[in-house]
Amino acid sequence: MENSKAADSVILDVRNISVNFGGVKPVQDVSFTINENTFTSVIGPNGAGKTSLFNLLSGMNKVSSGEIFFNGEAIQSIHAHKIAQKGLVRTFQGAKIIRRLTVAENLMMAVKGNPGDNLLGFFTPRARKAFEVKAREEAMRRLDQVGLTKFADEYAGILSGGQRKLLDLSRALMADPTMLLLDEPFAGVNPTLVEKLLTVLAALRKEQSITFLLIEHDLETVMNISDRVIVMAEGKIIADGLPNSIYENDLVIDAYLGSRRKDS
Amino acid sequence: MEAFLQPGFWVFVLALAGMYGIFSLGLQIQYGVGGIMNFGHVGMMAVSGYTIAVLVITYQWSFWWAALVGVILAALLGALLGLTTLRLSGDYFAIASIAFAEIVRYWILNTDSVTGGTQGSLAIPSPNGFGGYTDQPDVILNWISDRLYPIIGEEASRDLSMVLVVWPFFLLFIWISSRLQKTSWARVLRATREDDDVPRSLGKNVFRFRLQTLIIGSVFGGIAGVFWALQFALLAPEDFLRIVTFYGWMILILAGSTRVKGLFVAAIFFGFLYGATRFLEFWPLSLLSSPERAYLRVFLIGFVIVLLMVKRPQGLFGKRQEMVLE
Ligand SMILES: Nc1ncnc2c1ncn2[C@@H]1O[C@H](COP(=O)(O)OP(=O)(O)OP(=O)(O)O)[C@@H](O)[C@H]1O
Ligand SMILES: [Mg+2]
Repeated sequence: MENSKAADSVILDVRNISVNFGGVKPVQDVSFTINENTFTSVIGPNGAGKTSLFNLLSGMNKVSSGEIFFNGEAIQSIHAHKIAQKGLVRTFQGAKIIRRLTVAENLMMAVKGNPGDNLLGFFTPRARKAFEVKAREEAMRRLDQVGLTKFADEYAGILSGGQRKLLDLSRALMADPTMLLLDEPFAGVNPTLVEKLLTVLAALRKEQSITFLLIEHDLETVMNISDRVIVMAEGKIIADGLPNSIYENDLVIDAYLGSRRKDS
Repeated sequence: MEAFLQPGFWVFVLALAGMYGIFSLGLQIQYGVGGIMNFGHVGMMAVSGYTIAVLVITYQWSFWWAALVGVILAALLGALLGLTTLRLSGDYFAIASIAFAEIVRYWILNTDSVTGGTQGSLAIPSPNGFGGYTDQPDVILNWISDRLYPIIGEEASRDLSMVLVVWPFFLLFIWISSRLQKTSWARVLRATREDDDVPRSLGKNVFRFRLQTLIIGSVFGGIAGVFWALQFALLAPEDFLRIVTFYGWMILILAGSTRVKGLFVAAIFFGFLYGATRFLEFWPLSLLSSPERAYLRVFLIGFVIVLLMVKRPQGLFGKRQEMVLE
């Protein structure tokens, strides 16, 4: 296994993490490292523990044992919002949007370091408004990227399932992440848009050097964009390697029995 | 019926409306923006009111400093409530907040040597044997009535002076609160109203936002307590029953919790319902005894709320669209 201190390009170092919910163990002794500016996909059957893993990495659930290092700093016991502030940002399976904020507000809410988020900001309206203008511009740019511009000032609650996914993704980007954890961002999005999103993600990786860790059910979708694929089943990593090697892996075929037969 | 034609009646309605309006401003920011269901708001009012009475009567403080300390204590009480129970989920917090206000009231009731217990502020120990605390502000209220007397004669009452004092504050607070609700701070708070995980995942400290909101609301509750103490010049533990919190909620539901600007109309409407029930002496209501008619008030107001919930869930001024999004 790589050592996080030696290889300075390691952004995330996960060491033997487990979680135990009163006997249910969705993640068991999982270890892996992620290098900066890479694109890794996590695949696995339903209930494999993929979302649970993200919950641990993002601090939404706490590990029962093990350690997580982000940029060399142990984060397994700090608050979720602090982890996000450090640049490790996640999205949710099934896209959580704030229904009673407008689409643009959903995005603007996510901006990092907004002086207006602080109550004292109330007394410096100039700085607050200047920031607000910038935030709005960025939000509009992000919405344009995913084709939601015309919904900017509608309540997010009116968006369709697929549109909510797009909003969720754009919103995570507003938080200025250095590493993004995306939980099934393509599920329920139409194939043409999936293609477009893949292009957007590839561009983000290149232009903003964002590191990606992404959960996806369908290996084919992420074959081309991924540098590496991690396969989970029953709370454990059962395979980890180049996309092609995973494609050929027997264990994976076992775990996926149903779905792979259909695909091939 | 003639009672409704008397200017004095409407002055009383407005005085109540201003006071309860400020009270419900606290609930509005807590619930309407932050989604925090506080059913113990009356506790903040009790604390500031009694702080004034005790500091002025027993310790001979100036009313103004006592009022300031009263509001600060209400804010601290809000902070204490938040720090101890705000991590509970919504429903549990609501229950805990009721208990919190009841503790405050029981403490007042049972600490006779400080608060006067059941006998109220009249029995607060005083070095000069007199239990009043409004001398200083009364100078101002009297000054106002004296100016008005030449113009309107006998109608220049203390209540009218109160209206003229309370309402500018009420309108100012509405303005401040509506400004606050346009900031990005409030935007994050609105997000926390629907979901904890999203703001957390984006680096927002949800607990901090909620706690701040609870404290701001408590300040409004505390200020309402100052005006309450001033209006009635007398305090008793039964002034701060749970029902008072629900009066505040009624105004909020009438107005539509998400829009602060409609609050003053709803407050007047509430003041009218509250004041009017005292005068419902015509047949067949005249068959009821006066305590029974007082219950009628609660019944009537409850009825109006149920009617609104069914017919206009967004309140008189809210946007319906906001209520139906899924
Ligand atoms: N808080 C919890 N308490 C108890 N069990 C949990 C908890 N969270 C997850 N689990 C269990 O852990 C297992 C893994 O769930 P998880 O959501 O991580 O799977 P997943 O790999 O994301 O599946 P899917 O592809 O269907 O999204 C499931 O059996 C789930 O019931
Ligand atoms: Mg999942």
